[in-house]
Amino acid sequence: MSIEPMRIFFKEIKEPIQTALIGNYAVAGGVTQTDPDVICAFPITPQTQSVEGLSDVVHQGRLKAAFINVESELAAMTYSTAACAAGARAFTATASQGYLLMAEALPMAVGWRQPLTMMISARAFNAPNLSIWNSWEFVLTDFGWNCIVSENVQETYDAAILSVMIAEDSLFPTMFVHDGFIISHSVQQLWLIPDEVVRNLTPKKPRHTIDPKHPGTWGGIVTPSYFMEGRMKLDVDKKPVLSQMAAAFERFEKATGRKYDLIETYNLDNSSRTAIITMGSVCGNIISWMKKNKDIGLIKVRAYRPFPYEQLQKIIQEYNIEKLIILEKSDSLNNLLPPFSTSVATACYPLGTLFRSFIVGLGGRDVTTDEFDVAKKKMESVTDMKGQLYMYLGVRETKDKIYGVDM
Amino acid sequence: MLTPEKIQNVLKKDCINLRFHARGGQGGVTASNLCVEAFLGYGICQPRFGAERMGSPTESYVRLSLDKDLIRTNEQVYNPQFVAILDETVMWEVCVTEGLPKGGWLIINTDMGQEEIQELINRKDLNIATLPATRIAMDVLGRNITNTIILGALIRISHLFTLEQLNEAIRKRFKGTIVDKNIEAIKEGYEATCVYDVGVDVDFDAEAKLPWTQVDPFLPGYKDLDKAGVWYTDVNVIRYGSHQVKTGSWGEYDIIWDKEKCTDCAQCWYICPDFAIKREKGDDGLWHMVGVDQFHCKSCLNCVNICPVDALSKNMKQKPGSCALYL
Repeated sequence: MSIEPMRIFFKEIKEPIQTALIGNYAVAGGVTQTDPDVICAFPITPQTQSVEGLSDVVHQGRLKAAFINVESELAAMTYSTAACAAGARAFTATASQGYLLMAEALPMAVGWRQPLTMMISARAFNAPNLSIWNSWEFVLTDFGWNCIVSENVQETYDAAILSVMIAEDSLFPTMFVHDGFIISHSVQQLWLIPDEVVRNLTPKKPRHTIDPKHPGTWGGIVTPSYFMEGRMKLDVDKKPVLSQMAAAFERFEKATGRKYDLIETYNLDNSSRTAIITMGSVCGNIISWMKKNKDIGLIKVRAYRPFPYEQLQKIIQEYNIEKLIILEKSDSLNNLLPPFSTSVATACYPLGTLFRSFIVGLGGRDVTTDEFDVAKKKMESVTDMKGQLYMYLGVRETKDKIYGVDM
Repeated sequence: MLTPEKIQNVLKKDCINLRFHARGGQGGVTASNLCVEAFLGYGICQPRFGAERMGSPTESYVRLSLDKDLIRTNEQVYNPQFVAILDETVMWEVCVTEGLPKGGWLIINTDMGQEEIQELINRKDLNIATLPATRIAMDVLGRNITNTIILGALIRISHLFTLEQLNEAIRKRFKGTIVDKNIEAIKEGYEATCVYDVGVDVDFDAEAKLPWTQVDPFLPGYKDLDKAGVWYTDVNVIRYGSHQVKTGSWGEYDIIWDKEKCTDCAQCWYICPDFAIKREKGDDGLWHMVGVDQFHCKSCLNCVNICPVDALSKNMKQKPGSCALYL
């Protein structure tokens, strides 16, 4: 039995075709086209169909890859990293608790400079309740993976191909994220790229791999006399990644006509000198809302890691943005600000841009025009950076009151 | 009544929203996918996100427009102008008219008449279209899959796309004999649709979403929580077992038991997966069959098939449609 929507990828795609797919199958198709050698993942909602789709193309003989079932996400990550180190092009996918279970192995892929790619279907982690719905769990850890975030199905399909380009150019593992359920399970129209174009974009280049002819030790123990040099070497090597990403976006645009940027901007030339900054699917909600709210702009962060500080500062200065509304689907019980907001705040620090962070859409709560209206209104009265810099939005305070909102 | 020209004008500057109510496994999501595929323009379709299972009420949404930016939003649909109900029994379990504005359209797979429906939904300001889709599905497809057939009724009243465009989408999506069968069933659905127009047109400009509905006001707030994430089992809170669920509403047939023919062989009792064959201990100290538990019977028909003396028979619940149109 085959998976109906994957059938389109069974044959060679000769010219751009328009179709409609859910985010996960679109990713499965995109990954198929990049011709991976090893696919190893453990199923978890809402990531499941991406690997399920890949198992189908492998089963049908369309993709000559080793499809490996493992017992956990930790095994999936260690297996993929090792396969990648042996020279294979490897893909894995996860979400939520699975990502946290991987945590032990995540830094190794970075340390060994493995061009591994991973899809994350962003989902809340299980505290205080189990939730299978969307939050941003991927912002919690930062082990040095590259990370691009997608707004819709087209972007996440393209990201499946882009992340292979970025990973192999930079030799850093790259994850691409879409919002669980909201994108992973929504059917949206998208254009597929011909196989030939994908092959040209993602050629298999020679790189340093584990080879029995040239034996060596990978990741062996070192004394304090050696460790820091290794870390600093990684840091220095990470510096050119953003420009490599930008170059990958440019090559992608030349081949497909679809333009992406590290940071994308909409209507920043507005009267209120205010912009919303966020990433992921909620950008689409804002763009539709902006049809009737023309006095506000949107800054959409596509490359979340490495964080494009300089580009963001340049945009804020160029458009003379005075106030930023940060929307984030993650919170922090200990920090002054949640993780994404912290990155934005660091970029704003030398510029003195006023901002407030609004925590929305945790555990799959829908983010609608109501939230945007309130955030915009609240921002109008902000004149300094005193007091608590974040607030939850769209939360019930009591049975008949919504926190921070006059009904 | 909507005309093709009017719909095209609306689509140029507004978004048209649809909602499908079904039960898990009936293909509500496929129906909404087909809308997006058949529609000439931009479309997006989402299921109501959650852990659905076979037989439970499901919802899926469609947003259609000719303006790309308008359908870029990933919000769920709160204010549909069209609501299609693939299985009438969900109307007793969920509020199918939620967010539906005055003059909105309800498309129902049912043999009920206009007045009966108006009484059930407690509204008289909605346009209604009905069709006996279950009957057509059993007739033409041999299975109770009504998702494509209901789109025939949608085309008839909405003109969002044409029969030819839908057939094209079906050909793209399905393979083999089910293509022609579905196309035939859709045509029959289109022709058998009863249209009850109340003479009110839906106002596509109106924003029907009440503020903060996504936050579910009136549920406990964070201040009402004793300890986040902890519930204590309380007989007053968790009082229903799964036997309280009326799984009998999922079936297409009533099972008729003929006491005269029955020999009490109990083969039906053994094969029934849901213990829906009722037996009682008689005065003679033996167990005798006493009937079928229609509250739980999902009409899998195992009992009808196994009965050696034809004491069990089936009877379709849905009556034939009353206003078939012949083109």
